[in-house]
Amino acid sequence: MTSLTQAPETPAARQTPARRRRRVDRLPYLLLLPSLAIIGGLLLWPLGQVVAMSFFRLDNVRQLRGDREWPWVGLGNYAEILGDPFFLTVLRNTVLFAVANVVLTMILGTLVGLLLNRLGRRMATFVASCVMLAWATPALTGTIVWKWLFDDTSGLVTWLFNALPDGLSNALFGRADWTGYGWFNSPLMFFAILTLVVVWHSFPFIAVSVLAGLRSVPSDLHEAARVDGAGPWKVFWKITFPLLRPVFGILVVLSTIWDFKVFTQQFVLAGGTQDRPTFMLSIYSYAEAFSPPPKYGLGAAIAVILTLILLVVTGLYVRMVLKQEEAS
Amino acid sequence: MNRWKRLAPVTAVVASAAMVLAGCGGAGDDEAADNRKLTVWMMGEGSEAQTTFLDGVEAEFNKKHPDTDVVVQYIPWLEAPKKFQAALAGGEGPDVTELGNTETQGWADQEALADVTAKFAAWPEGKDILPDLVRNAQLGGKQYGVPWYAGVRALYYRTDWFAEAGVKPPTNWDELVAAAKAVQAKKPGTYGIALPGNSELPFYSFLWAAGGEIAVQEGDTWKSGYTTPQAQQAVKFWTDLVTVHKVAPPAAAGWNEIDARTQFATGKAAMAFAGSWQAGAIKKDNPEIEKVWGTFPIPGPDGRPAPAFAGGSDIALWQDSKKQDLAWDYLTVLLSKQKDKEFASSLGFFPVYSDLVGGGEYANDKIMAAFATSLQNTKLTPLTPKWVEVSRTKTVTQAMNSSVIKGQKTVEKATADAAAEMESILNAK
Repeated sequence: MTSLTQAPETPAARQTPARRRRRVDRLPYLLLLPSLAIIGGLLLWPLGQVVAMSFFRLDNVRQLRGDREWPWVGLGNYAEILGDPFFLTVLRNTVLFAVANVVLTMILGTLVGLLLNRLGRRMATFVASCVMLAWATPALTGTIVWKWLFDDTSGLVTWLFNALPDGLSNALFGRADWTGYGWFNSPLMFFAILTLVVVWHSFPFIAVSVLAGLRSVPSDLHEAARVDGAGPWKVFWKITFPLLRPVFGILVVLSTIWDFKVFTQQFVLAGGTQDRPTFMLSIYSYAEAFSPPPKYGLGAAIAVILTLILLVVTGLYVRMVLKQEEAS
Repeated sequence: MNRWKRLAPVTAVVASAAMVLAGCGGAGDDEAADNRKLTVWMMGEGSEAQTTFLDGVEAEFNKKHPDTDVVVQYIPWLEAPKKFQAALAGGEGPDVTELGNTETQGWADQEALADVTAKFAAWPEGKDILPDLVRNAQLGGKQYGVPWYAGVRALYYRTDWFAEAGVKPPTNWDELVAAAKAVQAKKPGTYGIALPGNSELPFYSFLWAAGGEIAVQEGDTWKSGYTTPQAQQAVKFWTDLVTVHKVAPPAAAGWNEIDARTQFATGKAAMAFAGSWQAGAIKKDNPEIEKVWGTFPIPGPDGRPAPAFAGGSDIALWQDSKKQDLAWDYLTVLLSKQKDKEFASSLGFFPVYSDLVGGGEYANDKIMAAFATSLQNTKLTPLTPKWVEVSRTKTVTQAMNSSVIKGQKTVEKATADAAAEMESILNAK
């Protein structure tokens, strides 16, 4: 742009293309403007607010209204969170849960994707629709149904375990009567069930994306490999995976982001913010900020920490993927 | 640099637009108080009985203020904290609101509620309100709410199962365990007692009956009573019901009072802790139960009934309301002795006036008698706005009991941890 305006010597020769170029240059930005305004207003502005709030001591609703001073505490909120041993528990829960869920979701999603690719058209449509139903179920309603399945008196799971032969049940688990068993009592069991719910909710997206990727790969590659005597395991790792690496890359990043900030499923399964030993960062932030007495500054600081962790994790991963791309 | 200069007019336009908008918002605040409308927030779903009752209150109120339209909005109990926060943050709140009496201090501390000390002192009927309930609505010596109705917890039991097992309503702890075991033996597949392991208020009756305290204030600092042998005895008794006597299942560690009540209502448990106001909900779950239920006060270890937590509701004036006097007039109509009695009975609660709950009024009611007895001996949770954090956010007591029931901690460790956490919250600056 600047080079163009600095060249006034040949006005006649320059004017038309420059004008056209300028008009064309502006158009995309003009078209982007509405969405930028919406993103700015609904996403960036609140995000900036959260970051700003994390530096203040905010424990009165009237401060949010501007009726009261906002006392500056600098990094005080961060120091308080990081200095609390409970934060380590929360961080451990969050990271272990996210790792387990990303791995399980990716494995299950890929397997289902491969299966869909090999099925005939009708069967594939049928299986895909069933799988998509899980994805289409809203997190809230889906989780409520799961919670009922694990109800301690009339849940289906309790009933199934009661239906096991007593001897077998005793030998395996040391109890035959499952009525009244607290499925959500131990944090480990709670996380196991939460993992089940979250993986159930998120694998369909992976499956469908992997399927879309597979469809774009020419099938003669697979055939050639099979003719050369490669088994399915080898075909996957030597042909499918390298070809779909970008797809897997983006899916892992998305899953990581989703599984780090699981909230709805946990809130419903735990029945609110009571079960502190199973806290993860997102629910911890919510509980600190909004449970009475409110601590908006502290909650905001936790949210910022969660965002930073996510940025670092996904940033590292994206860099790793890009490097591998270059190398290969 | 150039770009910023070019943006300057845009910035100016945006800023002035924002100021104009802000100005519009501000102009409304200067309006004189408008007495044509009084907004009242009530908790719950608004049953037919409650709506009819409030229509009656409005008619009475309109005798003095014929031009005022009373608008009642119902807010579900669990939604209330969010609704209050939003109202405070946005500046658009009610004029009068109901709120749970465990929450009054917390909201007073958030400057949500108006100070009604002078108005309350000048109101003659207020002198007869039960003093524990009045104190529970105070913060720093000022009155922020007025008790509306009161309730205590007791034990519901199955009279038919007790008769089959040949046991009587227990009057001390040993009898309670014996009765639970006897019924459970007679009725396989049921629990002797539906223990709300994840609720704190029924537990406090055991704590207080054993001679323990939740926390006491010594000068400026709070000291938790959980490390005393009395408190440990109470925790041990409460958790032993699951772990040693097995008269309640391990899942009880996660039960709240509604879960436990449902076990009783659906015929899965012989006894359950519940308030008098929950009788309606139990009957709704199982209409037949009315023929075979009874109540008795929560027993203490020694044969005397345990002290009970004085629960209930307060009515408060919203601090941001510009119609404080009008709102107070409404409050005094709503809380007049006659209206209070009428309403409390229809809900299964008690009126808050000492002369209305004493005097054998309820002696012949097979459900209410036990509650009326318990109401004579009530205690309160610690009177500090920080209590709500111990009770609701960190759920210190619930976590303590649950961890023992789940076998994660010993009684000694759980009580010591809970005491330390409680003290750190209550004494935080």
